[in-house]
Amino acid sequence: MIIFWQTLAKAIALGSIYAIMGLSFVIIFKGTQVLNFAAGALSMAGALFMSILVVDRGFPFLPFTNPLAPADGETAGLALWIVHLVIVLMIAALMGLVIERVAIRPMVGQPLFAMAVITLGLEIAIRPFNLDATAISGRSIGVPWGTETWEIGGAIFPKSYLAAVVAAAIAFVAVFFFYRSRFGVAMRAVAFDQEAAMAQGINVGRVFAIAWALGAALAVLGAIFFAMSPWPPAGTVSLEIHPIWVFRVLPVIILGGLDSVAGAVAGGLIIAIFEIFAGQYLSQWTSILGPGYSTIVPYLVMLVVLLVRPYGLFGTEEIRRV
Amino acid sequence: MKLKRLLALLMVFGVIAAACGGSDDDSASEETDTTAAAAEESSDDDAMEEEDDAMEDDSPEPAAEIATDFGVTEDEIRVGINADLSGPFAALVSEIVESQVVYWEMVNEAGGIAGRNVVPVILDSGYATDKGIENYEELAQESEEGVLMISENTGSPITAAIAEDANDDNILVIPLSWASLWPAEENSAILGKQTTYCAESMNGVEWLKNKVEGDGKEAKLAIISRPGEYGEDGHVGAQLAAEALGIEIVYNGKGEVAGDDRTAVISQLVESGATMVWTTVTPGELADVFGQAVSQGFEADWSGNGPSFSYPALLPTDLAPAFDQYYWQSGYNTVWNGNDSPGMQQLVSEMTARRPDAVLSDSYITGWIEGIMVQTILEQAAAAGDMTREGVVAAAQDVTVDFMGLAPNQAFFGEYNDILVRESYIFDIDATAFDLQPLSAGTGSSGLIPIEEGYVGSALASYVFDGPCI
Amino acid sequence: MSFGRPLLRTSYEADAAILPTWFQKGSAIVALLGVTLMALGFGPLEAIPKFLLGNTWINPVTITVVFAIAALGINILVGVTGQVSLGHAFFMGTGAYTAVMLGGNVGEEESWKACVPFHDNMGLLAEQGECGLGLPIWIWLPASGVVAAAIGVLVSPAAVKVRGLYLAIVTVGLVFIGLHLGRMLPEWAGDFESGRKWPKLDLRLWKEETPLVEMTEDGKWFGLIHLSEEQKQFFFLFSIMLLMLWFAKNLVRSRTGRALQAIRDRDVAAEVMGVPEFKYKRIGFAISSAYAGIAGALFASLNGRVSPVDFGLLLSVDFIAILLIGGAGTIAGTMLGTVFVELLPEVVEKFTAWMATKLDAGGPVGLISNFLLTEGGEGDFGPISIATVAPGWPMSTFQWNFVIYGVLIVVFLIFEPLGLFGVWLKVRNYWKGWPFSY
Repeated sequence: MIIFWQTLAKAIALGSIYAIMGLSFVIIFKGTQVLNFAAGALSMAGALFMSILVVDRGFPFLPFTNPLAPADGETAGLALWIVHLVIVLMIAALMGLVIERVAIRPMVGQPLFAMAVITLGLEIAIRPFNLDATAISGRSIGVPWGTETWEIGGAIFPKSYLAAVVAAAIAFVAVFFFYRSRFGVAMRAVAFDQEAAMAQGINVGRVFAIAWALGAALAVLGAIFFAMSPWPPAGTVSLEIHPIWVFRVLPVIILGGLDSVAGAVAGGLIIAIFEIFAGQYLSQWTSILGPGYSTIVPYLVMLVVLLVRPYGLFGTEEIRRV
Repeated sequence: MKLKRLLALLMVFGVIAAACGGSDDDSASEETDTTAAAAEESSDDDAMEEEDDAMEDDSPEPAAEIATDFGVTEDEIRVGINADLSGPFAALVSEIVESQVVYWEMVNEAGGIAGRNVVPVILDSGYATDKGIENYEELAQESEEGVLMISENTGSPITAAIAEDANDDNILVIPLSWASLWPAEENSAILGKQTTYCAESMNGVEWLKNKVEGDGKEAKLAIISRPGEYGEDGHVGAQLAAEALGIEIVYNGKGEVAGDDRTAVISQLVESGATMVWTTVTPGELADVFGQAVSQGFEADWSGNGPSFSYPALLPTDLAPAFDQYYWQSGYNTVWNGNDSPGMQQLVSEMTARRPDAVLSDSYITGWIEGIMVQTILEQAAAAGDMTREGVVAAAQDVTVDFMGLAPNQAFFGEYNDILVRESYIFDIDATAFDLQPLSAGTGSSGLIPIEEGYVGSALASYVFDGPCI
Repeated sequence: MSFGRPLLRTSYEADAAILPTWFQKGSAIVALLGVTLMALGFGPLEAIPKFLLGNTWINPVTITVVFAIAALGINILVGVTGQVSLGHAFFMGTGAYTAVMLGGNVGEEESWKACVPFHDNMGLLAEQGECGLGLPIWIWLPASGVVAAAIGVLVSPAAVKVRGLYLAIVTVGLVFIGLHLGRMLPEWAGDFESGRKWPKLDLRLWKEETPLVEMTEDGKWFGLIHLSEEQKQFFFLFSIMLLMLWFAKNLVRSRTGRALQAIRDRDVAAEVMGVPEFKYKRIGFAISSAYAGIAGALFASLNGRVSPVDFGLLLSVDFIAILLIGGAGTIAGTMLGTVFVELLPEVVEKFTAWMATKLDAGGPVGLISNFLLTEGGEGDFGPISIATVAPGWPMSTFQWNFVIYGVLIVVFLIFEPLGLFGVWLKVRNYWKGWPFSY
């Protein structure tokens, strides 16, 4: 039973991170009809900024020292860490704005696929700079709670699990309220029909910008919580893991539907539960399933769901008029 | 209008061409100047270089008597390096290459080998097999652009991919890989240095067993490895040791550390109740498995093959205290300032003098070892009067390389069981000592503290190999 | 042969011809002749690739020829049928492994038995990577295409139902599943990292000792002409590519080709016109996969050794980039794109190496070199590192190649959505109307 609860907690925590990442994809897709393949490089860059700010006590791109940073050899307290997190998210939003302005805005009206491939190009172009910034294969992001755990009735839960769930909840609530706001309504109108929205006096360019700023910030948020202790790179931004983990989020948004906010959250949790529980409870069949089988569980779930529902569980079915 | 523009363009090209042509000569003369200057400088250097000079005097001086084919001219020996400078092992390998380059600077200033300067030709494979093969073909071409031998070839996969060609082409290759395949007879041109993953695992498991039993616990072994030659090689060694020493294997995760989600491995490991864990993985995989197992309250003594652990990748992370407590690193040679041997003194003084801004690293030793190997072999070839590619391979048969205390001395050809190096090194991890300083500071540590130098376990000492473990 | 206006066609035959104008016919002949002479080592022509790619230029060029075959395949799926797939690497892998199973080394026993994983007492695969039937190329090459096509049809139920970006992501899943299979089946794929050996390129009638046409040693070919190993491989692969090119060109002109294009342009309209959408999507998928399979088999044989990790997502992305940079939907664009994407990194590398020799040269070249390159010394700046310093700023040419590659994709999509083919159209139209602007 202890193992069950530990596994469930792990699945929910991983699902929360998938959900944050999924929200990032959905917001950007909803606002600008772009599937953001650059999320991997973008989010890793953001997580590296966090490391530069908190651990190196520097500032990305600029030769200044960070005046807020904790003293040499100390880790940041929770409040200070959150302040830095907010700063990084703001930098991430700025990066989103720049990408939107430089690469996405000129492409308005082009086929969906062309826009998606532009982001693929960005991913390839940004990635070497990430490699450059890590220099060695791992970099800590200076989490105040480190590898600490709680023990409840014999079961052990890393504190990072709760942090991920809290972050996902905050992100979901923020996106939810954003949806109800003026901008959110404008975004949904733009998603429905760009020209009609423009005719109604909605500033489509601004909607694009906001979608990318918000999407980039969410992607970085996901990456930072993925860089905490129990997850693969073990408390670091890692070259091995971070550039590719975004591809594990693709099944999440497909499952939920590319344009559904609720779908991103549900998809994240479902995929994570399948992945983690398969890893935990099918492990005695590894010789049949092959080593590392749990890595492809999300894709298998995705394939099965798509056979039944080609637009995901919550996605809008494209109405095809003849 | 158009014609004028065209003319102008042509003139510009003409000017550039002239500049190139003229400057070519300049650079050539400058080069000779610097070599001359270097030769002068070398006369007033420290004892180590005098030793090199002494070696130099023994070898036959007149260049005309030495037979050559590719990669050797009157004043140059081209040595190829097919390295991963931008892939997953870039941090490690670039330091290895850097120290080898420093080694050649030192040798060249002391007069080179057989009166020739050693010129390293460095190509980047990015750890991609196809790129590695392409690089090999470029280095092995039979023209003045080819090299005499390859002094470093990063990684088991790329070495395995080129091994057959290298044997056919008679190009001596020093792999950056400790797979137990290389000392085998059919790999006549692949010069496996130091011990093998397989033998290292046997030593490591025995050491762990003694450690665990010394702490009053029962030795129950879990072995986890990644798929591939490296993983399999290390895994087999651990199994052999367990068999020989009668250790119970409670979890056998052969090749199971694969993919990005390792929940299955971790859950089985934790449930197995192992008291000692042997790993043959990469640092990223180790961090994942080790970190999650420890966070689930799994307490055991861990160790693994050298490449499993990497201090620059893992000691800056949140897991550093856990590694300090539970992990023991195994290795093939000593660490920076790990002992007082003449080799270490030479390495430390040369690196510090020539690269004062470089950061302290244990990888420099590997580069230095490669340098010593190449120099010994090439001098042997020069003494035999045959510096063709074939001659170099033949020379490697006859030498026993003295690593001056950096690693166990080694000969490379003979019966597998006779030439296998059995010594390995075991280090304690001290996370508080971990402090990477520039070399000029003269302080700092990689966090690896030697416990055993040249350790040979009883199981390995008595084991008779009739060939590679895999 | 009409010397009239380029777009004026006076007969149906002229309109449907593979090379409709005298200019296209002429340039095709010139290109073929040029490539042949170049590969034969004809001095003046060889000077160009030698300058751009160095002495071993024929190696990257041969790889490019193989990639061109795969690119033709992705063009049929993405450019002609309009179905975006990132799964091309998976089908290349399928073809490659079919090739090695049929043509690979024969183990102890000459049968499929060698392929059954046999574990010795250490739990090791005894005959690892030694399973194959040793069949000749004329069996394994077509078979690799057929098997890849069959697998394409097998997965098509999931693929034809989903549209647009959903399809792109499903095919990403395919690549990851392929990687997992590579790990699961070491007796097929060999070592996960270092792979296994592939059958060498040579043409045998059956399993006889001396091949009919050998391509593994320098020497006389057909007793006629002395060629190096690389030249032989190049000519062999180049003729296969021409065959595939001819087929692709013909496909587009056929009934099937027109149906595929109808689906690309508007699937609903196509169905109304009586083109069964699912059926033709499946056909497009199968043909594209067959191209990928054949290219994968040749790629692996040419390399001599390939591992499952080589058929990863980045390979698929390569092909999408080739299409976009070349110009999707056109054969000429596909060819241009392949040459550009595959050879540019080599050129950049060689160019950097050349500049490095000019560092101390002075003059404008020396100045530019000094500005761009750095050896890592004190006060030496420049974005490209030629020293062996650890990863970090400045970056190596290898890393810069990725940046250039990514930026090129973005720039082409923004400024020239039709790719290099679009550039060519502009040039052609300019000269067509010259001296008037339209």
